[in-house]
Amino acid sequence: MPRLPRSLVAKAWRQDPLLPLLLRPCRDLGSARCELRWLKEHAAKVIKTASNKTHKSVLHQLCKQRARGKPLQYLIGSEYFGPIEIACRPGVLIPRPETAASVTYLIEQFCHKKSADLTENLKVLDLCSGTGCISLLFAHLFPFDQTKVSDLQVVGVDISKTALSLANLNRQKLMDLEPTTTSTSARRAEVEFILGDLRSDDSSRTGYSDLMEFLRLEGPVWDIIISNPPYISPKAFNTDTTRSVRNFEPRLALVPQISQQGLSDEEHGDVFYPQLLEIAEHVSSKILLMEVADMAQAERIAKVAKSWSKWDGVEIWCDEPAFDGHQKCSEVVEGVQVRGRGDGRSVFCWRGDAKIWLGK
Amino acid sequence: MFKSPWVCSRCLIRTCRSGSRRTTRFHSSQSSTSSKAIYPALLTRARKIAAEYKTVSEQLLDDYDVNSAKKTGELAPVANALKRWEDANESRRELRALLDDPTTDSELRVLAAEDLDTSTQQLNEASQSLTKSLVPKNPSDDLPCLIEIRPGAGGGEATLFAEDLLGMYRAYCSERGLRTKILNLESVDSGGISEAILEVESPGAYGTLRCEAGVHRVQRVPATETKGRTHTSSAAVMVLPSFPSSQPDESLRIDVNDPNSDFFIDPKEVRLDVMRASGAGGQHVNKTESAVRLTHIPTSTVVAIQESRSQIANREKAWQVLRSRLAQVRKEAREEEMLKLRRSVVGVARIGRGDKIRTYNWGQQRITDHRSGMTVHGIEGILAGGANLEKLMVSVREWMVEREVEDMIVAAESA
Ligand SMILES: C[S@@+](CC[C@H](N)C(=O)[O-])C[C@H]1O[C@@H](n2cnc3c(N)ncnc32)[C@H](O)[C@@H]1O
Repeated sequence: MPRLPRSLVAKAWRQDPLLPLLLRPCRDLGSARCELRWLKEHAAKVIKTASNKTHKSVLHQLCKQRARGKPLQYLIGSEYFGPIEIACRPGVLIPRPETAASVTYLIEQFCHKKSADLTENLKVLDLCSGTGCISLLFAHLFPFDQTKVSDLQVVGVDISKTALSLANLNRQKLMDLEPTTTSTSARRAEVEFILGDLRSDDSSRTGYSDLMEFLRLEGPVWDIIISNPPYISPKAFNTDTTRSVRNFEPRLALVPQISQQGLSDEEHGDVFYPQLLEIAEHVSSKILLMEVADMAQAERIAKVAKSWSKWDGVEIWCDEPAFDGHQKCSEVVEGVQVRGRGDGRSVFCWRGDAKIWLGK
Repeated sequence: MFKSPWVCSRCLIRTCRSGSRRTTRFHSSQSSTSSKAIYPALLTRARKIAAEYKTVSEQLLDDYDVNSAKKTGELAPVANALKRWEDANESRRELRALLDDPTTDSELRVLAAEDLDTSTQQLNEASQSLTKSLVPKNPSDDLPCLIEIRPGAGGGEATLFAEDLLGMYRAYCSERGLRTKILNLESVDSGGISEAILEVESPGAYGTLRCEAGVHRVQRVPATETKGRTHTSSAAVMVLPSFPSSQPDESLRIDVNDPNSDFFIDPKEVRLDVMRASGAGGQHVNKTESAVRLTHIPTSTVVAIQESRSQIANREKAWQVLRSRLAQVRKEAREEEMLKLRRSVVGVARIGRGDKIRTYNWGQQRITDHRSGMTVHGIEGILAGGANLEKLMVSVREWMVEREVEDMIVAAESA
C-alpha cells in the first residue's frame, strides 16, 4: 500500500489528532471524517453502559484498533443491510451492500402483477447464511400484500457455529422482538437457521447427507435458493482482497475449504457452484440466485448453468442490478442477459412457475 | 388599469411599511382629515369572504361537516377583521356627523374632536389588520424546513462564518425546542465548513425560519490578519420547506406522488449513484462508504449525503433534500412572474436569495438587517441564538408580510 502523503496526514492531524489513525484504513479524509463521527457516536453509547471509562479513552482505543485494520463494523458491532441493521462479530463475514442490492432486486421482481400467483407456502433457502442477513432481508422485504403467499418459510444454512449463533441473535433482534409488521396477521414469515455442510467432496463429511435429509423432510420442494458462498480463489485471496478483509474476516467465509487435489486456482474458487446447482435439482427449486466474485466468474458460472439445460433462463446481475442504463440488457454468453451496472455480481437462474411469478 | 386606485395603494403601502413605529407621527401630521381608506378591491374581497363565512357557518349549525368547519376556521379572521373595520368606520362616521352638525354644542364638539383622533387611529389599525388578514396563508409555513448554509465570497473567513451561522441556527432551535438534525456537513480542511444542511423537523419551522434566507455578510478581522484590517466576507443561507417521508401529522402530509405538487419528481429523471471507489467489490472489500448522490438530470441539481452508516437512510434524506430544492426552484419561478408584474406597478425590487440581507459587524458588535432596517447589538448573543436574533427575525417577518400585502394589491389591481 502506498504511503500516505505527509501533507495529508498533517492536515488530518490539525483537524483532529485521531484522524491520522483513521486515514490509514480509509485512505481519504472524507471517509476518515465519517468514520470518526460514527466511532464518536458509538463511544458515547458505550460509556453510557460501561461507566468508569472516559469517552476519550474509549474513542482512542477504537481508533487505534481501526488503524490496525479492524473493520469498523466489528468495532461498532453492526452493519446496515438494506434497511435493516445486522449485528456483526469477528469470526463471521460482514454483510456487503452488493448482496443487499441483489436480494432487493430479486424481491422487486415479485412486485409484479402476475406475482399474485406465487404459491401460498413459499419456501426459501439461504445457503451459506453467515450473519443471516439474506434470510432476514428477504423476510423483511417480502411483499405479502401483493402476492397470495400466506406462509413464508426461510431456512439459512451454515457450517460455522459462530455464524449460526450470530444469525440466531439477529433473528431474535429483528423478528422475535418486533413481530412482522405485515398488513394481515394471517400472513407470516418464519426464519430459521441450521447447521449444515454443503460440500460432499469428502466422504468424511457427514453434514451434507444430513442436510439433504433435512431438506427432503422439510420440503421436499424449496422454491427459491439464494446463496452467497465462499468464492475467492486462494490466489485472489492474496492479491485482490484488502488487508482488513484478509486479516480480520474469516477465511472460511471467503475461500472454499476443500480436500480435493489437483484443482486449478480458478476451479478452486468456483467449487461451490456445481454443488448449488445440484442442490437446486434435489429440491426442485424454481429460482436460484448465486453471488459471484466478478464478471469473469459470472460468465463461467452462467455457462455451466446454461449447459445443464434445466433452466428456462440464466441472467447475470451486476453490482447495481436495478440500474436502468443504456446497457440494460446486453448479452455476454449466448442467451445470457446482463442486468444493471457495475461488475458482475450474481448469476440468476429460473424455470417453470417462476416464469409467471417473475412476469417473464 | 391604474387610475385612482394607484394613489390609494401607494399610500396604503406607505402606511404598512411605516409600521407601528411611525403610525403616531404619521397620524398627527396628517391629522384626522385624511381617512385611511382600505383599497376598494380588497374591501370588496373581504365582504365576499365575510358573506361566505356567514353562509358556511350557518350551514354548519344544521349539518356539521369537517371540511366546512375547516373552511370557517380559515375565513373567520377576515370576517372578524372586517367587522372591526366596519365598527371603526361607523363610529368615525358618527363623530364626523356630529362635528359637521352646526347645532352640536361646543362642549360636545371638543369631546368629539378628541374622539375623532382615537377613532381615526383605530380605523387605520383596523384597515391594516384587515389587509393583512387577506394575505393568503403560505401553505408551506406549517412545514418543517431545511437550512442550507454555504460560504460565499471571502475564502477561509467565509467558511468560518458559515460554521458560525450553523451554530447560530442550531442554538436558536435548541433554545426554542425545535428539533434539528444535521443532514450533511462538509468540513473544510483549513477550518470552517463548505456546506451544511440542517433539518429542522418541527412543524411550522419553515414559517419561522424562512426569513433567514439570503446572503449574510460579516465584517471582522480574521485571526490570521496581522495588520488588523477588517475583512468582509459572506455566507449564503437557503431555507427550504421540507416534508420528511414519514410525516406523522396527517394535515401536513404532502403527496409527493401527485404530479401537480411542487414536490413531485419523476424518478426516471433522477440518477442515483452510490459512491464506492472503483476496484474489486463483493467479498474482497469491506468498505464503510454509505454516501449517496442523486442527480436530477433536467436541472443538473445534485444532492450528496453521507451522514448515516445506512445507505438507505442517506438515500431517503437525499430525496428529501432534492424535493425541497426543486420545489423551491418551482416556487421561485412562479414568484418571478409576480415580481415582474410588481416591478412594473410599484417599481420596488424584492430581495432575492442573491441579495445581502444582513450584516454582522464584529468590531462594532452590531448586526443590521437590511430588509427591516433593524439593528441590534452583541455578536455573541446573536450567535448563541438569543433574544436579539428573535427580535431581528420578528422584524423581518413583519417586513415580509408587508411585501405580501404589496403583492396582493398588485394582484388585485391587475386582476
Ligand atoms: C461469504 S459468507 C456469506 C455470509 C452471508 N450469507 C452474507 O451474504 O453476508 C459464506 C458463508 O458460508 C459458510 N460456509 C463455508 N463453507 C461452508 C460449507 N461447506 N457449508 C456451509 N456453509 C459454509 C461460511 O461459514 C460463511 O458464513
